[in-house]
Amino acid sequence: MTHPLTRRDFLKGTTAALLGASLGFGQNSPAVNKTRVILVRHRDVLDENSAINPDVLQEMLDEAVMKIFDESDPVKAFGKMVKPGETVGIKTNVWSYLPTPRELETAIKRRLLDAGIAEDRIGLDDHTVRTNPLFINATSLINARPLRTHYLSGMSGCIKNYIMFAESQPALHPDSCADLGSLFKLPIVKGKTRLNILCALTPQFHGRGPHHFSRRYVWSYKGLIIGQDPVAVDTIGLRLIMAKRREVLGKDQELPPVPKHIQLADTRHGIGVSDINAIELVKLGWNEDILV
Amino acid sequence: MDDFERSIPKKIGAWQASGKDQLYNRETLYDYMDGGAEVYLAFDFRQVWVRKYAGPGGGGLTLDIYDMGSPGEAFGIFSCDREDPGAGIGQGSEYGFGLLRFHQGRFFVTVMTADEDEASGKAVLDVGRAAVKALGSPGPGPDIVGFLPRESLRPDRTSYFHGNVNLNNRYFVASENILGLDRSTDCAFAEYETASDKPGYLLLVRYAGAERAIAARRSFLSSYAPEAGPEGLAQTENKKWVSAVVRDRYLIIVFESPSPDWARKLGSSVGLPAK
Repeated sequence: MTHPLTRRDFLKGTTAALLGASLGFGQNSPAVNKTRVILVRHRDVLDENSAINPDVLQEMLDEAVMKIFDESDPVKAFGKMVKPGETVGIKTNVWSYLPTPRELETAIKRRLLDAGIAEDRIGLDDHTVRTNPLFINATSLINARPLRTHYLSGMSGCIKNYIMFAESQPALHPDSCADLGSLFKLPIVKGKTRLNILCALTPQFHGRGPHHFSRRYVWSYKGLIIGQDPVAVDTIGLRLIMAKRREVLGKDQELPPVPKHIQLADTRHGIGVSDINAIELVKLGWNEDILV
Repeated sequence: MDDFERSIPKKIGAWQASGKDQLYNRETLYDYMDGGAEVYLAFDFRQVWVRKYAGPGGGGLTLDIYDMGSPGEAFGIFSCDREDPGAGIGQGSEYGFGLLRFHQGRFFVTVMTADEDEASGKAVLDVGRAAVKALGSPGPGPDIVGFLPRESLRPDRTSYFHGNVNLNNRYFVASENILGLDRSTDCAFAEYETASDKPGYLLLVRYAGAERAIAARRSFLSSYAPEAGPEGLAQTENKKWVSAVVRDRYLIIVFESPSPDWARKLGSSVGLPAK
């Protein structure tokens, strides 16, 4: 057994390295061969009641996707991911306390339509993706879900969002859901994910209560974390969660126990990059209280 | 639990039961929860009865009554997640931010609303008070909690559980299950006042036999405090001390001790039953 991560590693300040979340990276580091992740934020995407401004959200999604593909037009950028004639599944998340926002689903769908995907060939689903013909026949997938902590896996991000593709969800629960990365090798999924969108409009940084949800631990961050690599996207999401926990709960509760599946998705399953030094994080838009 | 449909009022104040009452067991709990089922399955959870109420202003709340199999298990699930002031309902309770939690007998109960207005918060407490009447008599807590030293104990911060997932969510120790915790182990985790504003912690684990306790101590020291000597005592990076000793089939670990003597004294004060 390799040395387990312990509380004492926090005290030594070595947890970040152990989680592949080392400090000292940024937009100024060389971008050659790095996995690009976009963090886009906008002050006006939520109003004082947390209602979403759909136009601003569309603008944020467009900006991020254009940046990923170095395109100046959002439709052309989406056109680099999907082609007319394809069947595309949008894997959403319907968790009642913090679902993928309907406005985000609409924004994604709009650009898929603009890129030439027929409306009747766009699937939008969560719990029934395994039996949904639009997902069974999909040639491309868009993975979109909110960022939150999770009692077992530490964090629910883009990697965990594919658990509904598994034949048995409980089979993936042992050892802090260590092998969630294997989901991306399932035939229904493998090689099809074009975009991962981690919705950080109102992320949840700590959980409690019967469903691991409490509104006191949700904050208006007003961001989206977007990339083609689900591991890199989740790595940035984890950094954000850890930063917020450090700020509110204190250094010794920085890490939600125990998000090992993100690093293992890289080192054991090879589906993406968890080494922060191999990630190019591009920050767009509103910068206040950005935390990462 | 079938009786709850009749024994718990469908109308409480201006709030009315909505939809059909639901029942989930160990096999179907995942259908009800995403991210929380394992918490209950780590205990002797039997089933949960769920009713939703709708309020006059369009708000809603959910009443969950969990049959945990015994009063000790009901205390356990309640004790692992305490943050708020008591609400005076049942054997132990707390309320904050629209969430009421309490235990009574073998039942653990939550009443929760996502609405933030005062009327919804009052309704949550009213539903809790109505529900507790249907739950029967109080019951005894887990015996292992009674072994904890009483001096300087913060009683409302004591937790009882079995598995590593509960320990790590209460107090993160390690990413691996280095103590060999599972459904067969009983754990009490307690906080103690120290001379500073930071508490010390005591973890008491009961294994099926002394061999398992000894093996767990060895595993713990190897991963967590490899520099510890025969006494099982080591200083950590924050200048606190950790100690691990075995007595009979019990493993006693003290975390965040301000001194070696404090750890020794707390550990030796655990009142284990005579063999």
